[in-house]
Amino acid sequence: MNPTVTSPKNAPAVGAASPGPARPGSGRPGVPGPGAAASEPRYHAPAWVRMPGALSFRNIGAVYVWLAIAVIFAVWAPSTFPTWTTARQILDENAATGLMALSVVIPLCTRTFDLSVGFIASLSAVTASYMIEHGVPVAAAVTIAMGGALLVGLINACVVVVMGVDSFIATLATGSLIAAFITLMTNDIAITSPKLLGPFAKIGQASIGGITLPVIYTLVVALVIWFVLEHTATGRRLYATGFNPESARLAGVRTARLRFASLIVSALLAGAAGVVLASTLGSGDPQAGVPYLLSAYAAAFLGASQLRRGRFNAWGTLIAVLLLGTGVVGLGLVSAPNWAPAMFTGVVLIAALGVTGARRRALRGGLGQRFGRRREATETPSRT
Amino acid sequence: MTGSGRGGHAALERDGVLRADGVEVGPALLKIEGLSKTFGGTRALIDVDLDVREHEIHALVGQNGSGKSTLIKSLAGYHHPDPGARAWFAGQPFELGSGLQHGHDRLRFVHQDLGHVLELGVIDNLALRHAYVRGRFGNIRWAEQERTARELLGRFGVDIDLHRPLAEATPVERVVVAIVAALQGWDGGRGVLVLDEPTAVLPPHEVAQLFELIGEVRRAGASVLYVSHRIDEIFQLADRVTVLRGGRVVATRAVADLTPRELASLMVGEEVDPDFRAQVPAASGAPVVLEARNLRTRYLNGVSFALHQGEVLGVAGLAGSGGEQLPYVVAGALGREASGQLRLPGRGGQWTDIGPNGLTGLALVPADRAREGVIAEFGVAENLTLPILDRLRNGVAHSRSRETALVHDWVERLQIRTADQDAPISTLSGGNQQKVVMARALALEPSVLLLCEPTAGVDIATRIALYELIAQQAERGLGVIVSSTDIGDLLAMCTRILVLRDGVVARELDGNQVTQAILHHAIEGTDEQ
Repeated sequence: MNPTVTSPKNAPAVGAASPGPARPGSGRPGVPGPGAAASEPRYHAPAWVRMPGALSFRNIGAVYVWLAIAVIFAVWAPSTFPTWTTARQILDENAATGLMALSVVIPLCTRTFDLSVGFIASLSAVTASYMIEHGVPVAAAVTIAMGGALLVGLINACVVVVMGVDSFIATLATGSLIAAFITLMTNDIAITSPKLLGPFAKIGQASIGGITLPVIYTLVVALVIWFVLEHTATGRRLYATGFNPESARLAGVRTARLRFASLIVSALLAGAAGVVLASTLGSGDPQAGVPYLLSAYAAAFLGASQLRRGRFNAWGTLIAVLLLGTGVVGLGLVSAPNWAPAMFTGVVLIAALGVTGARRRALRGGLGQRFGRRREATETPSRT
Repeated sequence: MTGSGRGGHAALERDGVLRADGVEVGPALLKIEGLSKTFGGTRALIDVDLDVREHEIHALVGQNGSGKSTLIKSLAGYHHPDPGARAWFAGQPFELGSGLQHGHDRLRFVHQDLGHVLELGVIDNLALRHAYVRGRFGNIRWAEQERTARELLGRFGVDIDLHRPLAEATPVERVVVAIVAALQGWDGGRGVLVLDEPTAVLPPHEVAQLFELIGEVRRAGASVLYVSHRIDEIFQLADRVTVLRGGRVVATRAVADLTPRELASLMVGEEVDPDFRAQVPAASGAPVVLEARNLRTRYLNGVSFALHQGEVLGVAGLAGSGGEQLPYVVAGALGREASGQLRLPGRGGQWTDIGPNGLTGLALVPADRAREGVIAEFGVAENLTLPILDRLRNGVAHSRSRETALVHDWVERLQIRTADQDAPISTLSGGNQQKVVMARALALEPSVLLLCEPTAGVDIATRIALYELIAQQAERGLGVIVSSTDIGDLLAMCTRILVLRDGVVARELDGNQVTQAILHHAIEGTDEQ
């Protein structure tokens, strides 16, 4: 395709460009010595782990843990846990968590944190409820709520990308501003109105074929994110931006634009989650979204250890949401004490991330390499 | 400890053991026999014997992947060697890889990454490696700490601002501080200082300063094991050289008995010419592919030039001369820090401002492969196609099959050694990573190729392969700009060389007539008749 390079007449000449030395057996056989050896074991898992690729424990460990949890609770509470009611309860209760978790996946791909998603969800829940309460039609109310979310997204993107403030602290700050605004508008009292139980309630409570709409929203969003990340150039560029922004920029990736867009996406998805929450709960709770922040990030990070290791991805995130959600619902069914669910979440997270982290270190098998992901690249040229 | 160090130094001088150039080499000090190291199924080191004599500068050379680093790390105790290895220091046996971080106390190491905390100054970087001077409440006694650091540096004739963060120090200053840090607590007398490619990131004019310090260390009574793959340095510095190839020692010779050509051949295993010069025909009367006018940055002070089709234009200069920035400026990678105008006859030929317009879309191979070139978490294919993803589209979706075909093509063409296309790029050797970055630039089908430090950290065989590749591209009409601190690169590739001093073009040299001496003097500014 490149006239300067592909001309068949010249093709062999490039091969000849590395006369002897590049040939195997001339000092450096196919695979280089020590450095490569250290990374090789990543393909040498013990036999019991070496299942057909996609099903290996390495790849989808969380699914096996999830199954194990399900079996434990099925044995523990045989009359209540293994039922359709419980299954549906798990899905319904975690649809909003799923949406919130998916909302942070895209920014995280570019190594940008959006910690304001919880507040954005609250804001849009309150806004939508307020509009409905004052007789605004459902479509308009939802549009206005989403507009608010979009506005916050733009502010986030301007502060983080244009002003260059670190995203972690910048989105905490904008989150605080949103909280202030919500308190100003609602005096921190939840908006309740019979109108909220009208057509607006359908958004979060109607179901198709026995599956409630929020579950379907979540699946659709996951499908879209999966497609973008795995099957488009944009996805590749998002990951490149996160892994090494400077390399990506010099390779022509418009990193600033991608980070800008990723913060808009997270704000819009969080806004949608807020509308769904308001509709499901039938009230505009000023605190509606905040509790979801932690579980959203927990699921996104746990999800990044699944399917595409080291890359934030949609299905891994949903698996993580399901794993954590199943445990919490199961604990409720066996009437565990009220501190148990939070403890369960913490223990599972540390165990899961600890195990994957430890294994990765073991596989890299080198001292010092854990101290920075850049190191991995710098080590190699230094290999002597 | 510093006091006793001075004592040792003085004693040596009194006894007249050392001459000015310290040539007198004593008996074997460090001796290794039968050192092997296996990683998984790969034998990184096979039955290696090595001896370093007293007061000797012993070079250890080999291509990327020949086992140099594994050998150093085994000595340092990071790797546990296979059973059967034996080691002696001054006749006393000791155990290798004893699990201690520092191994034998008389062996001191400066690894290639130096291990500094760049945000901190010299005092902290020295103390972190050794010990802080503490007061009664565990507080650090800063005055005394500073005095210790000053004495330590003074011992080796080093003069550096102690408080400035190392991030602001020059590269050679960082290397020097690392060496001094490694020698803390060494009281002079017998010892081996191991330097792993200390010049890898140094511009040429700073290398002399490092060599001075190495001489100083030797005069203080130590031997030096010097790891490098720069052949010219070995001949400047070393007494003997051990060559590793494929994990085996292929030769240990006195440097005086070797020619650079022989040494290169020993490293590569075949006849290789270290003074390789690609035959690039000077482009006479070829059309212009790029014209630059009045390029300015913090370092560049109004540079204008024209690049012709088929020309390989070198850019040389000391650090700070602006030469290293030039390809970035032309690529538009510096954004608003740069100003000036470009004209590309292939794109309509109007003059356009470079500053505000962002990347110009010309193919750039950046200087720092790890930081600016590859994406370590990506595979070979993902790295290679990053700038051309739009061409691999199938509707909105990215076409894996077209990507695979394209990457396969480039892997073949540039002989990139990789397990498969999806292998993480970090599993490739430096030379092969560089080939991936080069393939990425060429895949853009550019009319102008911009190269920075194209052979940094690349072994000699790959280096020559890259030279030939670039020559071929030029022959087919590509215009190339090469900025390099490695004079060898410029001599081997360029048809014309611009020498920059103080941000302006001070000399323009014809690539076919330039010699190393002429280029060197032009760069240093010592060429005025």
